[in-house]
Amino acid sequence: MSPRTPGPTRRSVRILIPAIGVPVAVALAVIVPMQANAAVDLPDKTVEQLLQFARSSDVSALSGTIEQRSELGLPDLSGLTGAGGAMGGSSSGGGTGGTDAAASAGLDELLALATGSYDARVYLDGEHARLQVLDRMAERNVYLSPTEAWYVDSETQAATHLTLPEGTDVEQLKADAQAEAQRLADEAKAEAEARLPDGQSLPTPQEVLDQALARLDETTAVSVGTDGRVAGREAYELVLEPRTSDTLVGEIRVAIDGENGAALAASITARGASDPAYSIGYSEVSFQAPDASVFAFEPADGMTVTEQVAPISTADEIAQWKADAQAKADAAEGATVPDVPQPIVHGEGWTTVVELDAQAAMAALGEQAAAEGDSTGSGEGSGSGDAAASAEQAAEASAMLETLTQPVDGGRVLQTSLLTVLFTDDGRVFAGSVPVATLLDVATAGS
Amino acid sequence: MLGALALIPILIAIAIRVSGGASAGRGPAFLDQITGNGLFVGMTALVVATPLFLPLTIGVVAGDSIAGEASLGTLRYLLVAPAGRIRLLVVKYVVAAVFCAAAALTVVVVGSLIGWALFPIGPVTTLSGGQLTVGEGLLRFLAIGAYVTVSMLGLSAIGLFLSTMTTVPVGAMAATAIIAVAAQIAGALPQLEWLHPWLFTDRWLDFADLLRSPPLWDSFGANALLQFAYIVVFGALAALRFTTKDVLS
Amino acid sequence: MSAAVDSADLAIETHGLTKRFRTQVAVDGIDLAVPRGAVYGFLGPNGSGKTTTIRMLLGLVGATAGSARVLGDEMPRRLDAVLPRVGALVEGPAFSPYLSGEQNLRRFDAADRHAPSRTRDARVAAALDRVGLSHAARKKAHAYSLGMKQRLGLANALLMPRELLVLDEPTNGLDPQGTREVRALVRSLAADGTTVFVSSHLLAEVEQLCTHVGVMSAGRLVTQGTLEEFRSTGEERVEVLTADPGAARAVLVRLGLVVDGVAGTAGLETLLASAPRPAQGAGADDAALVTARLSGDSPAPDAIVAALVRDGVRVRGFAVRRTSLEQRFVELTGEGFDVVA
Repeated sequence: MSPRTPGPTRRSVRILIPAIGVPVAVALAVIVPMQANAAVDLPDKTVEQLLQFARSSDVSALSGTIEQRSELGLPDLSGLTGAGGAMGGSSSGGGTGGTDAAASAGLDELLALATGSYDARVYLDGEHARLQVLDRMAERNVYLSPTEAWYVDSETQAATHLTLPEGTDVEQLKADAQAEAQRLADEAKAEAEARLPDGQSLPTPQEVLDQALARLDETTAVSVGTDGRVAGREAYELVLEPRTSDTLVGEIRVAIDGENGAALAASITARGASDPAYSIGYSEVSFQAPDASVFAFEPADGMTVTEQVAPISTADEIAQWKADAQAKADAAEGATVPDVPQPIVHGEGWTTVVELDAQAAMAALGEQAAAEGDSTGSGEGSGSGDAAASAEQAAEASAMLETLTQPVDGGRVLQTSLLTVLFTDDGRVFAGSVPVATLLDVATAGS
Repeated sequence: MLGALALIPILIAIAIRVSGGASAGRGPAFLDQITGNGLFVGMTALVVATPLFLPLTIGVVAGDSIAGEASLGTLRYLLVAPAGRIRLLVVKYVVAAVFCAAAALTVVVVGSLIGWALFPIGPVTTLSGGQLTVGEGLLRFLAIGAYVTVSMLGLSAIGLFLSTMTTVPVGAMAATAIIAVAAQIAGALPQLEWLHPWLFTDRWLDFADLLRSPPLWDSFGANALLQFAYIVVFGALAALRFTTKDVLS
Repeated sequence: MSAAVDSADLAIETHGLTKRFRTQVAVDGIDLAVPRGAVYGFLGPNGSGKTTTIRMLLGLVGATAGSARVLGDEMPRRLDAVLPRVGALVEGPAFSPYLSGEQNLRRFDAADRHAPSRTRDARVAAALDRVGLSHAARKKAHAYSLGMKQRLGLANALLMPRELLVLDEPTNGLDPQGTREVRALVRSLAADGTTVFVSSHLLAEVEQLCTHVGVMSAGRLVTQGTLEEFRSTGEERVEVLTADPGAARAVLVRLGLVVDGVAGTAGLETLLASAPRPAQGAGADDAALVTARLSGDSPAPDAIVAALVRDGVRVRGFAVRRTSLEQRFVELTGEGFDVVA
């Protein structure tokens, strides 16, 4: 029992203590884990030195927590991607025929991972890697090891197991790959040297970097920002600012570990905004190799496991595949009917606008989807159901698009803080990190 | 009240037993796991109970702590005993905290027992997809019980404070429960995202982090810190209010 | 009016004790002085501030102004040292309805840090025995009658040996038998040397129990002192019933008494109406009543009668009448009285 002395002074002290203590206590509890920036003073580096430093980083083992925050000014797109995810999930049960479907499911997942907000744990030990996306009451995992890979989704209780073809000699594959890389590098070097005037050797990496910087400098102001603290580590900051004001991008900041040069965080801020529209970075990181047990995965009973064999083959096959691709590309160059229309690029640098013939693209994608449905159907005998479902989804998607976009002169526009997409009435799509007016200009000029 | 809490896992287990298992990804988390492993009845019940039922019972206990004594008139006799006002608050808070632990444990233990009675039990699947032995799994469940207990400590402090504000226990109980629900509604609104880390409900459902492999203890620590801040703040407010209060009932 | 008493001998001492609830003044600067060993009757109509004063003395309510010392220590600063020595019954008993009487007592006893748990069983049993509730010890409190609850409340106040008992309306709700028992209990406690501070709105209770009286009215302590002082501060009057009022008046004036007159004031008439008539002769029709106030240096009543007779006044009746406590109370508080005992 504390004494109760009536009197204004005593009373005001009693009120003052919680009045100050309340916010302070909560702030401590909330902000301390966020690691507020403390004054950090690392040895000064020029932009070149900093880039060199980052390039020479050889971090191969770490474990940390990544936070991605994305506020593009759009409603949650998980409704759109979620539908695809469910479809992918159901068809991945169909066995080997589901490769494409699984790939598209993966695409949805990747899209969600790229544009959403999430926390994830990352583990690397040089050989293995694991990405553990921490959803509430659920988890998505990607386990990578030299010989296999797992994608596990706790919500659907489904796991996809990717293995190398039987009998693959991993060491041989590695050696092949290294040899191939070396061969390519040598080839490139030889080719480059052949093009150079006599008496000149190839530029040193430093010179390459300088040249790249010089090119970058034409469009972008690159500077070293204030040193700060990221995930409890002292870090340099590299700031890139577009020199033109015709782009939506205000600046890009990259935090580089002051000790080992690893990138710790990156953020993109829209022009005129104070907070980043997109940011990704470690909230906690350790550069010690994590315990081997975190990379071990054995699917639980009752989990749907899809086995897939990776389409990775010997160097010969890779060469063959490359040749095929080259031939295809050559054919496409002169062809009158391309498989999928190639995007047209207008402008350059920060104000690049990409144009796509949406109708053609949709048609091509539709064929692909139909093929996918067939392949699934053969596995499950429910192709028509899937087709109906995908038609429904398409309708849903277009309704969603309607609500997301706003009408403008000559079409509809989807405006996010970093990206603008224009759907013209004649079925073309323009996208770029530019204001709507620029897209409209390009659209009128192009038609 | 503990009996009412015990009803949740029992209802879930019987419903699943009678109507068959749920498909993956539908209903509350872990629901689909129950038919395969009865131990998950406790987890499912916790997921169901944490947002509303548990805070409701905590609200009743914490809201009644001082206001109940005041409305009975026993508060004045406790104070002239003399119990000491701070000491009485501390004892009442400890009682509420013990109830939090008993409530969480009741749900987990009754859930595991009824699950064991009605379903096969086996290795526990973590969110990461791996498996734990039954023993390890039960240890994790106990840790989750501890997590939920800690989660409710902040709310208990709020309830205690509200209980010092009135002589009508129902008012304090209702206000406590309403605050718990309102905080969760605020936590669900993306427009209030700046507020979210400050809400005592923010990490209530993160107890599943202990079911990952490896278990992620960060959220346990962060939650404990957050709840501690609420205990300090509302404990101080309750002490301030109660030591200067005229006991007229 | 009470003689100055040394502070050390006071069980309760307040100076200018005041409690204001927002705009309403519940207790207005009272100076209580309760001597140790006294049975102090704290008298006042309902709503006169008795209970608020008791709450301030027990540290339940903070004073707006003034100071209070209980058993020599300042309240509420030394609450922890004071309250273990004080047993209290405040504004009716209160218990957890679903615990038995015994369990309720154990609960309150456990709340007192100074009460040894080792002797708890014995002390609870003794307290129940003392108020005659041993037979109902295991009954749930909600099944108790009002009188049983009142006695259980007293048992709670007696769990430990106390130097001071503060009893707020202890006989409330008791039947006549219970009332007598409680009074006997209080007397026996007082006989052991315990100071008893008992509030009541019942004059009879105070008159029968108390050695000292304090009267509250509208938040003020209008008087306090011993019961005798309280009684005697009321005016003493002689009443002479005589057929010779003029002669009687002359004699009384000569003896130094202030004569009110034959007609008397309205207040006086009330007094007379409520008082039993003195001995009356047969021919009372022509007789008049002469009253006069006695003062300290007046002659003794028998000397007055002798003087009257000596002077040939035909004294048909003679009485010395002291103002009744009730009358005093009405005079002091200006309020009616709840005389239901």
